[in-house]
Amino acid sequence: MQIYLPIAELPVNVIMILAMGLVVGFLSGMFGVGGGFLMTPLLIFLGIPPAVAVGTQSTQVVASSVTGALAHWRNASIDFKMGGIMLVGGVFGSITGIYIFRLLTQIGQVDLMISVIYVIFLTIIGAMMLTESLRAIMAARSGKALPSNRGGQHSWIHGLPFKMRFRRSKLYTSVIPPIAIGYFVGMLSAIMGVGGGFIMVPAMIYLLRMPTSVVIGTSLFQIVFVSALTAVMHSVENQAVDAMLALLLVVGGVIGAQYGVRAATKLQGEQLRAMLAIIVLVMGLRLGWDLVTPPTDLYSITDVAPHS
Amino acid sequence: MMGLTRIGLAATLALIVSSLAPASAAQLVTDLSEHQVRIRSNFTGTQILLFGAVEVNNADERALDRDVVVVVTGPSRPVTVRRKERIAGIWINHDALTFPKVPGYYAVTSSRPLEVTADNALLQEKQIGVDNVNFGKPVAQSVDGSIETMSPGEERNFVKALIRNKKRDNLYINDPGGITFLGQTLFRANVDIPANVPVGLYTATVFLFHDGKVVDSISSPLYIDKSGLERFLYRFAHNDALLYGLIAVIGAAFAGWLGSAVMRQR
Repeated sequence: MQIYLPIAELPVNVIMILAMGLVVGFLSGMFGVGGGFLMTPLLIFLGIPPAVAVGTQSTQVVASSVTGALAHWRNASIDFKMGGIMLVGGVFGSITGIYIFRLLTQIGQVDLMISVIYVIFLTIIGAMMLTESLRAIMAARSGKALPSNRGGQHSWIHGLPFKMRFRRSKLYTSVIPPIAIGYFVGMLSAIMGVGGGFIMVPAMIYLLRMPTSVVIGTSLFQIVFVSALTAVMHSVENQAVDAMLALLLVVGGVIGAQYGVRAATKLQGEQLRAMLAIIVLVMGLRLGWDLVTPPTDLYSITDVAPHS
Repeated sequence: MMGLTRIGLAATLALIVSSLAPASAAQLVTDLSEHQVRIRSNFTGTQILLFGAVEVNNADERALDRDVVVVVTGPSRPVTVRRKERIAGIWINHDALTFPKVPGYYAVTSSRPLEVTADNALLQEKQIGVDNVNFGKPVAQSVDGSIETMSPGEERNFVKALIRNKKRDNLYINDPGGITFLGQTLFRANVDIPANVPVGLYTATVFLFHDGKVVDSISSPLYIDKSGLERFLYRFAHNDALLYGLIAVIGAAFAGWLGSAVMRQR
């Protein structure tokens, strides 16, 4: 069954988009990730224009992060103050990202930029997750516990000015690192159409040294607002949000996530993480392969947007 | 079934119009099966039937010398053609050439191949044939955005690439022999409209050639536009972008809340 997308201006298979939404939603429910970093490249593989893929995917991120943030809110595992500070950086980052996106579109390098950023992040994160989960599997087999990565030692971050007390995170630290992290992730979110949790969560644990219990909730809280802003700006600046595509993705994603959450409780964590790592790694390598192999046609055409 | 009724309709209409048409200068009578194509959510492309009749003024005229050519052009827009080059192992868009007026769609179909219909100069003048479309004077840009000059040979490569890409997207169609004559006077042609067709005002022009000269031509408008929900969403996204974005986000947030509420129930 085909449906014509009004903004992307091409017909797509409804069943396929719903299935993709289900699978990515399932994975996101299972691993607690947004899934944007899987969905955006898939949409581009399908032939959806990159701007529409990114803009529409940020709408889907709003839906999945609201679901996640509400669950964490009920468990009181959100540091609103820290989230708010990061959001300040996120707003400016998102605006910068939209500006960069537009500039790249005008000079014809946006596809390349999205691919390069994806290759870098997918391969690095895939490789890191894979080694980490393999180590965990080995450790579980040999029956030894892994040494904790969290130490109490002070780093250069504690020497920075503008300190603030964050009661929920039990921290007294400078506001500069959270703003900087928020800014960086906001920028990526606008260029890649992702929530950015996969970068923010490790940064919050290892750089800010926030307690793990509040990290995911706080990052989701921040993602809700940054992705909402990104989606609105993509529709204002690029008219790149396809409501029809967004609806299909959201429906598939919401349903898939429910099953993902339930499946996660029944299956073994390490093996699943290794599986996700392999999926991420394969996608990264596939995108990277496309960058280095000679294209079938060296020439490509694009309509010049009326407003530029 | 649809095809049969269309042929029937075409033939009847053509007979009526041909009997009504004056026998003077105008030798051609044509019409389209539809003057408006509506793109709805189930749109996966369509076919337009063009039909008509050629008047025979005197008995000496031989049908063999006559050629009918149909050209359907879509709205023109500036288009940038980019060429990739390998830099540090990665294929990067390097040189770019922007043509000011490129028809978003161009289909040509004829009763005989174009080469035998008329000489190239005439075809070029009338912009008949995929290779004879005038895209306007192009502007070349290097990778750093600076304006550069390009040799005519290089420009030719970009023009060829533009046509090749459009053909691959099924937006430029060359169908020699696509016009079928039903007897001496009636003719019909099917023109494919693919799903990725740009919206706007199209023109279908029928040329009548006699001994390699254009003796008559008729243009009819064809309007392709989004309709229903597709039209509403497209207009909304372009005219009220802020409100559209806000509603999309609020809708998504609501769906997220719904998901969380459902999850809690279980």
